[in-house]
Amino acid sequence: MSSYAVDEPIYALATAYQPSALAVIRASGEGSWDLLRPYFSGRLSSGKASHGYISGKDGKAIDEVVVVSYAKGHGYTSEEAFEIMSHGSIAVIKAISGLLDSIGFRRAERGEFTYRAFLHGRIDLTEAEAVEEIVSSRSDRARSDALSRLSGTLRTAALQMKDDILDILASLEVQLDYGEDEIPEDWEFPEERILEIISRLEGIASTYASSRLYSHGALVVLAGRANAGKSSLYNALLKEDRSIVSPEEGTTRDYIESDASIAGIPVRLVDTAGLRKAGGAVEAEGIRRTEEMMESADLIVYVLDGDEDDSSVPAGALTVRSKRDITGIDEGLSFSSVTGEGLDVVIEAIGEALSRDIVHGSDDIRIDSERQRDCLLSAASALREAVDAKSSGYDVIALFLQSSLDSLSVLVGDITADDVLERLFSSFCLGK
Amino acid sequence: MSSNVCSLLSVWVNDMRDYDAIVIGGGHAGIEAGLALARMGAETLLVTQSADTIGRMSCNPSIGGLAKGNLVREIDALGGEMGHLIDSTMIQMRMLNKRRGPAVQAPRAQADKFSYSRLAKETLEGEPHLHIFMDTVVDIMTEDGRASGVVTERGWRISAKAVVMTTGTFMDGRIFIGEYDEMCGRLGEKAAIGLGDRLRSKGFHVGRMKTGTPARVRKSSLDFSRMEVQPGDVPMLPFSFENDEINRPDIPCYITYTNESTHQIIRDNIHRSPLYGGKIVGKGPRYCPSIEDKVVRFPDRDRHQIFVEPEGEGTEEMYLNGLSSSLPEEVQHDFIHTLPGLEYAEIIRPGYAVEYDYLDPLDLYPSLESKIIPGLFIAGQTNGTSGYEEAAAQGLVAGINAALYLRKEKPLILKRTDSYIGVLIDDLVTKGTKEPYRMFTSRAEHRLSLRHDTADQRLTPVAASIGLASKGRMEGFERKMEMISDAVSVLKSIKADGKSLYEKLREPDADVLEMDVPELSRFPKSLLQTIELDVRYEGYLKRQEREVEKAKKQENMVIPPDFDYDIVDGISSESKEKLKAVRPLSIGQASRISGVRVSDIAVLAVAVRSRSNG
Repeated sequence: MSSYAVDEPIYALATAYQPSALAVIRASGEGSWDLLRPYFSGRLSSGKASHGYISGKDGKAIDEVVVVSYAKGHGYTSEEAFEIMSHGSIAVIKAISGLLDSIGFRRAERGEFTYRAFLHGRIDLTEAEAVEEIVSSRSDRARSDALSRLSGTLRTAALQMKDDILDILASLEVQLDYGEDEIPEDWEFPEERILEIISRLEGIASTYASSRLYSHGALVVLAGRANAGKSSLYNALLKEDRSIVSPEEGTTRDYIESDASIAGIPVRLVDTAGLRKAGGAVEAEGIRRTEEMMESADLIVYVLDGDEDDSSVPAGALTVRSKRDITGIDEGLSFSSVTGEGLDVVIEAIGEALSRDIVHGSDDIRIDSERQRDCLLSAASALREAVDAKSSGYDVIALFLQSSLDSLSVLVGDITADDVLERLFSSFCLGK
Repeated sequence: MSSNVCSLLSVWVNDMRDYDAIVIGGGHAGIEAGLALARMGAETLLVTQSADTIGRMSCNPSIGGLAKGNLVREIDALGGEMGHLIDSTMIQMRMLNKRRGPAVQAPRAQADKFSYSRLAKETLEGEPHLHIFMDTVVDIMTEDGRASGVVTERGWRISAKAVVMTTGTFMDGRIFIGEYDEMCGRLGEKAAIGLGDRLRSKGFHVGRMKTGTPARVRKSSLDFSRMEVQPGDVPMLPFSFENDEINRPDIPCYITYTNESTHQIIRDNIHRSPLYGGKIVGKGPRYCPSIEDKVVRFPDRDRHQIFVEPEGEGTEEMYLNGLSSSLPEEVQHDFIHTLPGLEYAEIIRPGYAVEYDYLDPLDLYPSLESKIIPGLFIAGQTNGTSGYEEAAAQGLVAGINAALYLRKEKPLILKRTDSYIGVLIDDLVTKGTKEPYRMFTSRAEHRLSLRHDTADQRLTPVAASIGLASKGRMEGFERKMEMISDAVSVLKSIKADGKSLYEKLREPDADVLEMDVPELSRFPKSLLQTIELDVRYEGYLKRQEREVEKAKKQENMVIPPDFDYDIVDGISSESKEKLKAVRPLSIGQASRISGVRVSDIAVLAVAVRSRSNG
């Protein structure tokens, strides 16, 4: 973080580096308009989109583009900035990047745009995190969660709870500020109110696990005996031929993984080595890794080979049966990767199993970062300590209430330690 | 160097330095500043408008109270005088908020005002390096921009290398009683006119503040049978760590209440109040409102509590605590007579409001040295505070830092984590104040480690390091620390029910004084209680220590006083203005300035770090 210099002109590609219809290149920093002007035929004017041609140093046109400019104080970073929307070919992206490199822009560091936006007070910490999550989120659900954070539902909820605690603390502190002769009434510990806040804090914190599934994806591991038909299922689920499917046992010696989307949930799908007595060192290693993978899985899909008995299915796994076209079994989760029979039921069952543990709060506030969860939980645990200490002195109770307030302040970014910043910005995606 | 006033004239002609330091004002701040300077070896002149009013208690006849009691004990631990003065002149003592938690309780004592002030004067007179001179300062002299002395009303130009200003409510003070007003700092004592204007022209930010005081009534005209008696604690406990016990008379206070007819009289005459009529522009304290304020702001309250407190041992004057007013005298007469027991009260002095110039404390460094005139230190009500204890605490720190300035040593800056004094000064110079600032327990976030009974452990070593702890004080302190460690060993060595007594103290209702252990009888009770609280709070203190450590990290990120905020990009212009006004000396202090955004602090931290790296 300390290597970032604010206001130095920087640029980054805001869209994916791959051929597409449109590419957006974003630039920000003091004097960035002047740097661009000689190479752009349109006019730069704050908040306006301007159509024109962008040309290289040799005067040759690179592409027909639209440039949106932002005067200082207006754009995302709050610095003088612009965004170039060009055609999305790799050649164009390369040419524009090359031009910017050569006229005084530097390629942005990871998270630098958001860092600048934060430093200029455009966004607070919760918003900054949400931006990161929008950019890296892998499903529509996660994207809408991240967007709702931007409008500050988490912030609003945190501020509300802060306000409630502050209220209680103030009514207590007045007893510490004035003597019993001035305020003879004793203070009553508002246990019910505090328990309510605790349950709200813990409720929001508990959305972390399910939110993580949506934004980082679930780890789904296909397991089962060798040659049970895992790789066939894997390919069917991916609808692409990535695994080597062969009738010979133990072909998949190591695991293979792919990103997929099952029932709308992003999934890291892993095909593992078959579980059987090791035939060689390489395969033994594959089996060891399979076991490791199964331990960290969000869901294990255990593939039984046709009419194989289910004694080997590990607890908690979802059991499916392969080779329906051969066995003719049509009850339970039986499928055939050859005919495609039963596959839709299996996919639905996987989706259901994944979302089973997902709790949705009525207020729809969900969090995605460990930092946020830790803040919420430490605020809740300080309140619990206050409840435990309710019969001790007011001085001690006030300490816990204060500590709970501090945790919430860290959450909304009122208080921030250097290391929090450091950690946050290093996980930002390039560009935004 | 001259050490007496008679030689001033010759020095004026020769223009040589007359004194090392000059203290302006003989109130609670001036007393501490003068004594600290003189005791640290500086030839010091204290200039006061009246040698008869040194150490006068202009308002309530008491010292201490919640948070304020902690201040007094800290002042004492740091080598100040207030603890000694009140211990020798108290006429009642109470430990407040015993029920509400040991860490936040604090002592308060009623004082015999007249003996307090007399003892203060005698103490100043007894200090060999301290000289008293009666005149009114009208200007501060400077040389190369630094404070170089004072000019007085009678035309003296007295030079010194450091000046401490403690003018209280006297700078352009004006008192109000209904339609009557007069340029006074206290009723019957003329204001110091002109100094405020001279300072304004030198670039100081001068504002107006207001405070008030209630009427004093004659004791023999009151009917105490119609009031509640409020007795003091027995035994009385000392403020000063140098005193083991107090042998003073215990005189009770009384409680009575206002009623609907009191409030009606006030409402009927509110237009005659100088505050509501718009004559007073200065801001008054919200926490210590006049009775007319209370009636207007809390119309639903059907009564307000009034304490009737003696002003001294031999005097008939009684102070009506809670009935401060600037309504016309005849209105005061009428409403006072509606209170039970006060029906025939004879008023000796009327209540009044006083409006005065104060200097924006944002113009000060945490050493209380002026940013505008180096070598000038400012303390007390002049900085926008209220209360004897707040004034004395600043006076002591200003005096110490003036002495360290003379010695060309680093100033003493107490931290929020080690004293209420540190909280007080940090608040003033970082946040400024819009109303008279009073110390409250709630202002101290690290209050569990700021118990009044540990002030000596926190500050006496500091006093020793700057040469302000007398030999007697240090010996007493070392003896006490040895006794504490002895008592702890005794507690750890005796077992009952499989636990040591020391461990037993962790239990919430353990009471060290109830433990029937002959081996403990040789230790003073207060010392055993200190140990008990240390043990009981150990866990909580650990928790607080983590916070303290975090705070320290930020306090240790130093910002040079001449740091150029204009060349740092990315700090908002509003924040820049605020930072430039305060000129914080650390990132910690910067982060406490109200209205400065976190993101600006982040930028500043990066900028300061990169500067110190390269």
